[in-house]
Amino acid sequence: MGSLANIQSFWLIAILVATLNGAVPLVLAAMGGILSERSGIVNIALEGMILTGAFFGAWCGQSSAAVGLVAAIASGAVLGLLHALLTQKLRMNHVVSGLGINMLAAGVTRYLSLVYFPGGLECKAIRPIFFLTAAAVLPVAVVLLLKRTRFGLRLRATGENPESARMAGVRVLPVRVAAVTLSGIFAALGGAYLTLGEEHTFSRDMSAGKGYIALAAVIFGKWNPPGAAVAALLFGLFYAVQSQMQIHNLNLHIGGVELTNPALLDTLPYFVTLIALVSVVGKSAPPAALGQEDTDAS
Amino acid sequence: MIRDWIARRWNVLRPLAGILSGLIVAACVMRLTGFQPLAAYAALWSGASGLEYGAASGEGQIALGSGHLNTFLLAQSLSAVTPLIFTGLAVAVGLRAGLFNVGAQGQMTMGALAAAAVGVIGRTGLSDAGTLNPALHVGLVLVAGAAAGAIWGIVPGILKAARGVHEVISTIMLNFIALDAVQYLVTHSLKDDAPGNQAAQSPIMASTSWLWPYVNGSNLTAGLPIALALLLIVSFMIKRTSLGYQIRAVGLGADAAGANGVPVARVLVTSMAISGAISGIAGAVQVMGIHHRYVAGVAGSFGFDGIAVALLGNLSGIGVLLGAVFFGALASGALYMQTNTNVPAPVSEIVQAAVIIFTGAKYTIAARTKNITTAKDDQDPGIVEGRTLAEGAAG
Repeated sequence: MGSLANIQSFWLIAILVATLNGAVPLVLAAMGGILSERSGIVNIALEGMILTGAFFGAWCGQSSAAVGLVAAIASGAVLGLLHALLTQKLRMNHVVSGLGINMLAAGVTRYLSLVYFPGGLECKAIRPIFFLTAAAVLPVAVVLLLKRTRFGLRLRATGENPESARMAGVRVLPVRVAAVTLSGIFAALGGAYLTLGEEHTFSRDMSAGKGYIALAAVIFGKWNPPGAAVAALLFGLFYAVQSQMQIHNLNLHIGGVELTNPALLDTLPYFVTLIALVSVVGKSAPPAALGQEDTDAS
Repeated sequence: MIRDWIARRWNVLRPLAGILSGLIVAACVMRLTGFQPLAAYAALWSGASGLEYGAASGEGQIALGSGHLNTFLLAQSLSAVTPLIFTGLAVAVGLRAGLFNVGAQGQMTMGALAAAAVGVIGRTGLSDAGTLNPALHVGLVLVAGAAAGAIWGIVPGILKAARGVHEVISTIMLNFIALDAVQYLVTHSLKDDAPGNQAAQSPIMASTSWLWPYVNGSNLTAGLPIALALLLIVSFMIKRTSLGYQIRAVGLGADAAGANGVPVARVLVTSMAISGAISGIAGAVQVMGIHHRYVAGVAGSFGFDGIAVALLGNLSGIGVLLGAVFFGALASGALYMQTNTNVPAPVSEIVQAAVIIFTGAKYTIAARTKNITTAKDDQDPGIVEGRTLAEGAAG
C-alpha cells in the first residue's frame, strides 16, 4: 500500500511539474496578449515574439544567462514597438502586421541560426523558478496595473473607445505603443523560458504555436488576467497529461479511436477555444475597439 | 504632378515598391552577416529563372546567348509557383467577401489527406499499379481534395455567419486541429502498412491518380495548368456572376449588402467554402504530382504564403498570378542560392515578410495624398475596414 501511495504522489508531482512547465510560457505570453488587446490592438504576433525571445535568449546567453535574458527582452520590445508603429502610425491591418512579424521572426531566426550555429548551440541556464515566479506574479501585477493605475485606466479607455479617450485628454498613441511594447517583452520572456529555462538550446520554430495558444488563453479567459492564467494552466495540464500518458504508455480506446493519442490530445486547447468562442464568451467580453482602425491615430 | 502620376499608378507602384524594399532589407541582412548580396541575388535569379552562365551541357539545357537555360531549374521554379496560385487565390476570394482566411494551411492539409485517401482506390497489392481509368481517377481525387478543403472552410464560415466567431481565430485553431487530426489518421486507419514502414504517412497512391512531370525529375505537372484554369474561372466568377457581385458587396460592407437584399450569411459561408475548396485542390495537386501519398509537411507554409500572395496581388486575378510567380520563384531560387553561394535559403522568408510589411503599410505615401487614400479604401474592402475581433466574438 505504501508503495502504491508513493507511486500516486510521484504521479501527481510529475503531472504538476509538467503542467507548470507547459503553462509558464503561455501565462507570460497571455499577459502580454491581454495588455495589447485591452489597448485595442489585436496581437497574433505573440508567436513571433516568443520565437524571437527564445532565439536571442539562447544566442546571446551562451556566455551569460543574464545577457541572454536582457537580449530576449530587448528583442521582444523591438517587435512590440514595430507592431504598434505598423498598426498605429501606418494604419496597417492588425492581422496583416501580426502575420508579417511572425514570418519575419521565423525567417530571421532560421537565417541567423544557419549562419552562426548550423551545428546547434548551448546556452547558460536560468533556474526555472525565476520564470515560474514571474508567471505567478505577472497576472496579479497586470490586474493591478489595469485596475489601479492611471496608465491602466487610460489603456482600458483606449481599447474601449479611442475617440472618447482622446476627448478626455488621453494621448492614445503613446498608451498603445507602451501596451504593445510591454506585450512583446512578456511574450519574449515566455520565449526565453523555452531556451534559457528549459531546453538550453535553440531549435528552429521552437515556439511551435505557443503564441496562438496563448492568444486562445486570452480569449478563453475573456481578456482578464486571472481567467487567462487559469486557461493557460488548463492548457498546460493538457500537455502534462499527454506527456505522462506517453511516458507510461497508457491508452484509452473508445469505439476504435485511441483517445489518449498525443496528436488527439494536442487538439484539446484548440477545440476548447473554439467552443469558448461559440458559447461562453459573451457579447461584452472583448474590448470594444479591438482591431478597429483608429481614424485619428497619427 | 508627381502625386497625380503616383496616384494613377498606385496599384502597380505599391507592390513594386514593396518588393524593392523587401529585397533591400534582405540585402542589408546579408551584408551585415558577411555575405555579398549582389552575388547572392545573381545566384537566386539563376535558380529562379533557370538562366545560368556557361555553355549548355547535358540533358535539359538549351544554349542561349553566352549562357544557357536550365529547363529543370525553370520547371522547379514553376512547380513552386503552382501551390501559391491556389492558396493566393483562396485567400483573395475570402478577402473579397471581407473574410480573412488564415486557414488555407489547414484546408490544404485536409485536401491533401482526402486526395491521398481516394488515390489508393483501385490499387492492388503492394504495387502502385491501379485499375481505374486515369482521367476518372484524377478527377475523383481532385473532387475529394476540393470537398475536404471546402468542409474545413465551411466550418469557420458557419461559425462566423451563425455565431459571429471571428474567422482569423477560428481558422488558426482549425489549422492546428487539421494538422493533429491528419497526424493521427496517418498513424492509424490511413497508415502506410507497407512492410518496414515507420514513417507517419499514408499508403502509396495508385499511379492512375498521379500527375506526371513535364520535365524529367522535376515537380512541374499538370497542376500548373489546373491552377491557371481555376484562376481564370474564379476571377470570372468574382467579376461577372451574381454570386461574385454578392461576394464583393458583402466585402464592401455586410450591413449595407444585407439591407439591399444580399443573403449575407449564405454569401459568407459560400465564399469560405470556395476558398477552402481551392486550398483543398492545392493539397490534392501536391500529393498527386510530387509525393504520391500524404507525408508530413505536404502543405509546407503555402497557406500563409498565400496571404502574402493575395496582399501583394491586391486581390486581383492577375495580381495573384504575379504575386505567386514572384514568391514561388523567390523560394525556389533561394534553394539554388544556398547550394551555390552558401547564403542560407531563409533569405527568401525575410524578403517575403518584409514585402508583407511594406505592402501592408499602405498609408506610407497615401496618407499624405488624400485622394489616394480614398481610392485605396474602395479597392481592398476586406483588409481595412473596421471589422473587429470585438464584432467577431460578439454573438
